[in-house]
Amino acid sequence: MDKGIFDAILIPMKVPAGDSYVYVLIKDKSLIKDVLPFPPIMSVQGAKAVSSITRLGKGNIKIAAVMRPCEIRATIELAKLEQTNLENITLVSMDCPGVIPFSDFIKDPEKAMELFDNAIKQEDDKIMRPVCQICDKSSMIAGDLHIGTLGAKKDTFFIISNSKKGNDVLDKLDITSKDSIDSWKAKVKEKTEKKQIKRKKTHKDLKTQMGGLDNFLDTFSKCINCHNCMSVCPICYCRLCYFDSDKVKYSPKEYLQRAENKGSIRFLPDTSLFQIGRMIHMSLSCVSCGSCEDACPMSIPVAQIFSMIADETQGLFDYIAGRSLYEPIPLKTYKEDELHEVEDAHD
Amino acid sequence: MDMKIGVYICECGPNIAEKIDIDKVIDAVSSLNNVAVVERYKLLCSGDGKKFLGEQIKKHGLTHLVIAACSPREHQQTFMEVCENAGLNPYLFQLANIREQCAWITDNKEEATKKAIRLTKAAIERVRYHTALVKKQIESNPDVLVIGGGIAGIEVSLQLASPDRKIYLVEKTSSLGGLIKNFEKTFPDMQPCQEFIKQKINDVNKNANIQVLTDSEVKEIIGFFGSFEVKVKKKAEDTDEVNFDVGAVVLATGSTLFDPKELSEYGYQKFENVITSLEFEKMNLSGKITLKNGESPKSVAIIHCVGRDKKGYCSEICCMYSIKFVKYLKDKKPDIKVSNFYSDLCIPGKSYQQFYEQTHGNNVDFIRAENVEITKKGNQLNILFKDEKGIKNNLLFDMVVLSPALEPACNTSQLSELIRVSQGDGGFFAEEHEKIGPVSTSTEGVYIAGCSQGPKSILDTITQAGAVSGKILSSLIPGKKIEPEVKVSHISESFCIGCKTCLNICSYGAITFDETKKISVVNEIICRGCGNCVAACPSGAASLKHFTFNQIYQELKEAV
Repeated sequence: MDKGIFDAILIPMKVPAGDSYVYVLIKDKSLIKDVLPFPPIMSVQGAKAVSSITRLGKGNIKIAAVMRPCEIRATIELAKLEQTNLENITLVSMDCPGVIPFSDFIKDPEKAMELFDNAIKQEDDKIMRPVCQICDKSSMIAGDLHIGTLGAKKDTFFIISNSKKGNDVLDKLDITSKDSIDSWKAKVKEKTEKKQIKRKKTHKDLKTQMGGLDNFLDTFSKCINCHNCMSVCPICYCRLCYFDSDKVKYSPKEYLQRAENKGSIRFLPDTSLFQIGRMIHMSLSCVSCGSCEDACPMSIPVAQIFSMIADETQGLFDYIAGRSLYEPIPLKTYKEDELHEVEDAHD
Repeated sequence: MDMKIGVYICECGPNIAEKIDIDKVIDAVSSLNNVAVVERYKLLCSGDGKKFLGEQIKKHGLTHLVIAACSPREHQQTFMEVCENAGLNPYLFQLANIREQCAWITDNKEEATKKAIRLTKAAIERVRYHTALVKKQIESNPDVLVIGGGIAGIEVSLQLASPDRKIYLVEKTSSLGGLIKNFEKTFPDMQPCQEFIKQKINDVNKNANIQVLTDSEVKEIIGFFGSFEVKVKKKAEDTDEVNFDVGAVVLATGSTLFDPKELSEYGYQKFENVITSLEFEKMNLSGKITLKNGESPKSVAIIHCVGRDKKGYCSEICCMYSIKFVKYLKDKKPDIKVSNFYSDLCIPGKSYQQFYEQTHGNNVDFIRAENVEITKKGNQLNILFKDEKGIKNNLLFDMVVLSPALEPACNTSQLSELIRVSQGDGGFFAEEHEKIGPVSTSTEGVYIAGCSQGPKSILDTITQAGAVSGKILSSLIPGKKIEPEVKVSHISESFCIGCKTCLNICSYGAITFDETKKISVVNEIICRGCGNCVAACPSGAASLKHFTFNQIYQELKEAV
């Protein structure tokens, strides 16, 4: 900001009451001392913040948005879906240690912060959210600049550029040193591989646990239809969710008919249909950020389930949500020659 | 006004009456809400049947009509006209297909009746939620843009040009005539070609209703059937741009030869005296078939099917023009040896076989060969090949003529994007339907003629040009308004979140983006009502008139 590279910074900061962290768009430089780029929780998914600012146009202020890799990936997905404009935004990520579940944090925020700091020091993710423990993209560079702490000497860090925008920032800051990032790469590789193994195992267990219609329905039978998962999801960008619309409100006669057909019908109805619908709609862009699971009052492992579905649906298109701004989004890409395996299933 | 649904079940002679218990169907639907009348009739599509329906609509004051009869493909339009004539909006009608989908698929009368009841009930439940749709009429421009000045484009232009229909004929080279200009004679009649094409070009130039734009390229086409805005640029001049409006567009961009250099085994442009069929035509037209050293060849090999495997299709005309080449050579030099190397001969039609047989004997061979390779041996060209029995062989010739596959003209993909007509097999323009729509395309008002649609003889090209002219003459009548599709998509302003997913999905270019409101907007005149945007819209903002969510849901509820 001093050098006029940025007009404002979007970064997490502790709320005055001290019991949460939110994104703030800082214009007053003196406030920068109070920021906390690594908050212990993800209260608002950063992509939602960026989208709020630029949904209606790029504006003419240059903003540095400091976020976790999954938030950056969600931002990139939203850019591809025209829900944010990144022209004047520089995305800055960092090696993410994960975050603590809301439910653990809110009991005693101060204690939680202590535990969080310790966990980072000891590189132990046991207290982090389950979906963070299986995150294999916690150091993925998808934005413009990345701050690498893994494999760095004490009290130092790597600044890695990933785009022309990133290079320009480094140039203007006169950062020219080209230290090798091999130690960072090696450490990231080691961590990623470990997590990939854990991710595969978790997904495999989940699949056994909830495979088949009955198990699937059991998993979501706790759902209270609050749609919190949808509200906090950065990818759920529809103005009005289909499942909140009149299209899924039926006449008493029809409900009675359904009750007659099945013996009874639960209310509110269509909860599992809502989950399936959301999977169909957003799994191709899901970044496994975990917001949905944090927001679920019934502790349904939504994020773990969705991360499993997302890995499979994105895998079909060799796609990783948010990996690159220039990778076309499968929802918007039509190829005449694809998905024959799905066609064949109906032969 | 109360809803009064009339339900009529067609016996279709014995077709439905014998296979379905129609009285049971009547019983099953008579007591449904708002059903005012249910009747059976011998043959509803007959003159008497249509009269009966019209009278019934008026007599009972029907607000909605359901007919259980044949496939909508067969008589939907017939019954919609009946509605219109009786003063009922034709979109307040639904046809249940109890013939193809019930009567004709099983001998089990009970099962067929059960399904007929379901389908009729489904149609009744659906029709309740129909809304009256009103056809719009728009002014149309009868003028036509023809792209490509070969025989296809010339023929279409000549057939269509009239005092009330101006034709713009755009040609990228400096003169009209296309490939035919290079031919001395045509197959199989061996009639002189030059006079014929010169006469045609002359007719075009003389015609006051045809504006010829040579050295020109189409830069922009926007709009829809009846009203396209066109920008054409003269190649040499940077500033000169011609703008005009037309109602229809004909793509007649023709084809070009596959470059045999891509297949090194043929030695093209590596060895002297290995030439392409087009080079041979030009040489023949100049009057002298000679080798590089000026001498006349004593033996010529014609290699068919060059690049066929690579392109994946047979180019249809190469066998025939290769036989024509035999005639050229024999006429000029009766003792010359000519050998044809082919992998399959394509000589269809009523006159081609005779044409082929006439060339036999007299030092002319047809050799079925595989793995043809051309090398140099002394002053001659050595053709190595595997014969029909799989035995390796070789023969020496003075000259080799390659008959390469035809491929789409080089600007095909550029035009394809410009006018949103997709490229099909081999990169040629895709027709709407291989059999029932061979000259129309997925974009209404855009037609294809000649080799731009696929390899074709002059005869077939002219036939296609005639078909295109017929299509345009019957649909784009000067002074007559056109009726665009009414079952179109609509994007809700309040639900659209502006993700632009529909823009990429729409194959007709019917959706634009309103940058101020940040929402997608459907152009109802271009929209063909395919429903792709409705399926793709993640926000449920797009809906299709006459196929709304509720209409489909109500229908399905009874059907399944």
